[in-house]
Amino acid sequence: MTKACQKWRGDLLEVALTGATAKGLEEHLPACANCSEELSELRARKARLDALLPLVAQGTGPSADFRARVLAAAEAASEGKRARPWRLWTLAGVTAVILAALVIGATSYRRRARTVPADELAAAQILTEWRAPSDVLLANPGQEILRQMPRLGESYLHVPVKMPVKMPLKMNEEE
Amino acid sequence: MSALIARAEAHSPEAGFGERIAENQRRVFQIAFSILGNSADAEDVAQEAFLRAYQKFRSLREAEKFRAWVNRIVFRLALNRKRGYRRRLARDTAWQISETRTMVDGARDAEKQVMLDRLHREIERLPEKLRSVLQLSLVEEMGAADVGAVLGIPAGTVRSRVHTARKLLLEVMK
Repeated sequence: MTKACQKWRGDLLEVALTGATAKGLEEHLPACANCSEELSELRARKARLDALLPLVAQGTGPSADFRARVLAAAEAASEGKRARPWRLWTLAGVTAVILAALVIGATSYRRRARTVPADELAAAQILTEWRAPSDVLLANPGQEILRQMPRLGESYLHVPVKMPVKMPLKMNEEE
Repeated sequence: MSALIARAEAHSPEAGFGERIAENQRRVFQIAFSILGNSADAEDVAQEAFLRAYQKFRSLREAEKFRAWVNRIVFRLALNRKRGYRRRLARDTAWQISETRTMVDGARDAEKQVMLDRLHREIERLPEKLRSVLQLSLVEEMGAADVGAVLGIPAGTVRSRVHTARKLLLEVMK
């Protein structure tokens, strides 16, 4: 294909594939031997491609016993699935037994824990009879002490203190 | 074998599953084959897809629902397996891969086989968007709407992408 005919390349492919010729190419083809030859080559190639392409997907086809094999495999899978609920029920039963044992154990333990020994019972009895000290006794003893303490100018014996009388300086008088 | 099929179908919850396999197996296999390129893996993936459908069969009783669901699931399973291939490809050599495909799919006309291998390679080189659409479109009974349903795109987009993909292949397959 000449350089000048390169622009028709896409159109030639379209013609070979679909058969529909573009307007410009329709006028060009009778005058160009190169493009006519190229189109013939593309048409031949397209025919080969059409023959080959279906083979890409066809292969030899599935084997004769394909259906039976699939059904056998499906049945085996289904049986396995049917067996699974039994396993589930067994697991559920074992879990239930373990839970029941745990509940019974916990209940009996709690019952045993409720029985109190005699000495502990006596001690508890004493505790219930014990009376709490009154608020007065619990009050800070420092308050009472402070209340009884003599204030400034008072004596412990509740006798008013007499202040000493000032004595005149006799020395001066003698002078 | 027929006794096994009859026994499997007699179980009421999954009754009719065998019929659904018969209706869909060829297409499902082809979807996997178009992506994986070898029969053994395609069959393996197709079986996996049907087994998954079996687990959900109660909600897939309608033929159309089943068809759409199984198309989607086999496409995804095949893509996942292919990603596994690519990881292995980093370890293996290319000749081992091409030899496996030839051996698995039997002897064809040599020239045709060479061309087909080349076509596979060129399809692999296409952008992901175009490749998926083209591979699914090549499957029998897969119209643009079916392909669109698998990929989640409108039928018009499918047709336009198929056209682009074919154009690119026509250009490179000299």
